[in-house]
This record gives sequence, C-alpha cells and structure tokens, in this order.
Amino acid sequence: MTKPLAAIINLNTNNILSIRRALEFVGFRTEIISENTNIDKFDMIVLPGVGAFNCAMQRLEETSLIKFVNESLNKEKYFMGICLGMQLLFSESPEFKKTKGLSFFSEKIENFNKFNVNKKTFIGWNQVKFNKNFFIEDEDFLNFNEKYFYFVHSYFVDCKNQKYEYGTSFNGTKEFVSVVKRSNVIAFQFHPEKSGLTGLNLLKASTKNFFS
Amino acid sequence: MIKRIIARIDIKNNFLVKGMHLEGLRILGYPEFFSKKYFEEDIDEIIFQDVVASLYKRNQLSEITSKVSKDVFVPLIVGGGIRSIKDIENSLINGADRVSINTGGVNNKKFIKEAVNIFGSSTINITIETLNINGNYKVFTDSGRTETNIDTFEWVKEVEDYGVGEIILTSINNEGTGKGYDLKLFEKISNKLSIPLLAHGGARNPDDVYKLLNDTNVDGAVIASAFHFNYFKELYEKKKIEQTGSTNFLNFSEKKNFSINIKDLKKYLINKKIDIRSL
Repeated sequence: MTKPLAAIINLNTNNILSIRRALEFVGFRTEIISENTNIDKFDMIVLPGVGAFNCAMQRLEETSLIKFVNESLNKEKYFMGICLGMQLLFSESPEFKKTKGLSFFSEKIENFNKFNVNKKTFIGWNQVKFNKNFFIEDEDFLNFNEKYFYFVHSYFVDCKNQKYEYGTSFNGTKEFVSVVKRSNVIAFQFHPEKSGLTGLNLLKASTKNFFS
Repeated sequence: MIKRIIARIDIKNNFLVKGMHLEGLRILGYPEFFSKKYFEEDIDEIIFQDVVASLYKRNQLSEITSKVSKDVFVPLIVGGGIRSIKDIENSLINGADRVSINTGGVNNKKFIKEAVNIFGSSTINITIETLNINGNYKVFTDSGRTETNIDTFEWVKEVEDYGVGEIILTSINNEGTGKGYDLKLFEKISNKLSIPLLAHGGARNPDDVYKLLNDTNVDGAVIASAFHFNYFKELYEKKKIEQTGSTNFLNFSEKKNFSINIKDLKKYLINKKIDIRSL
C-alpha cells in the first residue's frame, strides 16, 4: 500500500521541518506546498502554525495559497490545523491589527493579556481535557485525556461550549479551546509534532483512517 | 504553571562543547547523540547554541538541527548568530521551533521588534548573558566575550516591551561551575516579568534545580554540564563519541558529584511537589 500523502502548507514563518519529520514518523509521505496547486493527489492538508496571524493571512493571499486552503475546506478534504494554523480557521484575530481569517469557524481569536492568566505568552506544557468523541477508537481517550502537550501562544479561542470544541485547556483560570473538529477538519492549539511521544501517538490516533 | 526542564547544547564547529564562565571550551562529542538521548529521557525542550556564531558572523547550526529533528520531537530553540529575518526563516526551515537572539538584538533593537512582528512573540526568545561585577549585573554579548554598558534589569524590561515571548538568562559567574543557580538574580528578574524566564548557569545536582524552581518564579531550569557529564560516559562507552570527547571532564565531574540524570531529576522534583510534565 502506498503511504498517504500530506501537503504541508509553507507560510515561510512556520516550523516546516518539525511538522514534516513528525508526519513522516507517523507514516505519511509529505510535500511542502508554497503556491496554489491541484489538491486532488493529497490525502490530507496540513496548515502548520508559527508566526503572526496578519502576516500569515497576507502570505496566504499573496501566494494564492488561500485558494488551495479554501478549496480543500470546501471539498471536505482531511485537513489538520496546528497552532496558528488552527487560529487561521476562525473568523478574525486582533494580533497586531484586526485581520479577517478563513472563517471556517465563526468565533474570533482573543488575546490573553485581557484576561486573568498566569502568562500572557504561554510557552510550555499543558494538559488537554479531551471530548471522548474526538477519537476514532474509544480506548484512545484514556491514552490522551489530561496528558501534557506543548503549547506556544499569546492568543486563543474562548470556550463557548460549541459542538466543535473537542478539547480544552487552562491558562490560569481562563479556559480555552485546544482541540476543534468539524467534519474532516481537525485542529490543535498545541504542537503535536513537538509534544514528545504523546504528541506523535496523538497524530497517529487522529489519522488512523489512513492506515487501516 | 508547569515548569520546564531544558537541556542546553553549546556547539562549536559541529561539536558539543562545554566550558566554565562561557570560556575554556572543550569538545564533549556529537550534539545529535546527546540530544537524542535527552529526548529518550523525556527532556522538555532543547536549546542549541552556536557559541562562536556571532564572533565569526556566521550561523551553521542548520545542518545539525535538521539531522536532530529526525529523532527529537520536543521543541528546539536555536540561538547564536541570529541577526536577520533570513536567519530566522532559515532556522525554522531547518528544524528550529523558536529562535533566540542576543548579540544581533543588542546591536540592533529594531531587529527584535521586526522579528516579533513577522514571526509572532512566541517564536522570538532573547538570550541574555549577565556578569555580576561588584553588584552590578551587566549584559554581555558574543557568548560572554564582549561587555556592554547595558544594565541587565533594564534590558529585560526593554525586551519585554518589544514583545518578545521569553527570556533565557545566563549567569556567567555561575555558568559551568556547578555552584548552584544565582537564586537572588532569578528571583528578582522573574518577579519583574510577565513573560516566561528560563534560568541558566550553575546546576550541579537535583537539589540545585529544586531550589531554583521552588524559590523563584522562573518557568524553566536550563542545564548543560550536569546532563552532559551524566550521559557522557554511556555515550562514550558506546563508542559513539570515540576519539572526539575529552575524558578529563569525567574525572572532574566524578570528583565533584557534578551530574544529573534527567529521569531521576524529574522523580525528585515530583516528590517535592514541583509541577512538571509527567508522562
């Protein structure tokens, strides 16, 4: 069986090699995409994050990668957003200047510095409370629920108990969304590619459908 | 807040090196063997620092981090010789998850602001090397070689205002000596900051790390010599290091009990109720 092929969207500001290595470890072939390309040959599209929201949106537009992203979302391709790549799926962010996002989810991104949090930039390990239904197999819930994952962010998605919230975490007393899922789109606020073996196993568990 | 245990790997000419007070560097071996071992031992993060990059105006860690990222799936912070936006892009393409700026930022403050604007706060760390001279903490650049007139307490506030995500602070007085962390320094600075502070310089045993994490508000303990000394023998015996390592260090570390095992350290801290990542 040929290995599934993942497209990794290159925004020039993200940790491309780290995500590539992790996906290859899990069993994907990978291709870095820097401009609009035919999406048909890809099994999964990955939008990794690192960088500022407004710069990333600008880059998506300048390179017409935004067409690639929107087409994959419209065609219900398997799609994975990571960190900023999750935030870009939302409608708007105030990072540096108010910028419109991809609006796949309707919520807005918010800044930690308006809230009672431990650190306005959260860098480090944090627990994730998962919704059981996130996983393809029930037993995986126990393997990942309340485990530590690696987060780096100053902005976040507020919890509204929407049906697409599949995982939440805390910064101080502020609870925020750390996992979202809607049809074939999943996204993490944390970096599964940098969360040790737990992270690699989560990538495996979230993409089991490609390997059965 | 979960505290982090971070290994620091200093690199010169593709080798892991270690000195004292950032001077007298000796080769201990290949950085990729040490970093792989640290990952297997559940390290939380690894800093790769090219200690001659600023001096020679170059940056050659890409090859190493690119190799390391095949085996190491925790965050890599890359520092040394970062002085342009291109340098940062290049680091991120080659396996870095965050970058750390020292000399390039002291010499060009606009560069710090620009980097934060493009890559976001959380990608940009500032490394500060400080030397206590008669009670005044002065900022040094070029890996401790060049003294500036900048006061460390003022500099941390200034870079925080520029929007950087985190600060890695090295106490040159304690670095490589194993005499414990400069707790007063780290307490004072961590209380001033609303961004994370990582403390580096002086850890000899698990209790040094416990005191740092218990007595101050730092977010992480950065450890170099004590980890290297602990794993050096094993890597040496496996002939992974072969002729490249300097065995003089072994005698030194054994005599002074200068050694920390990562898993034992984590157990020790958990027993003492320090909030760290457990698996």
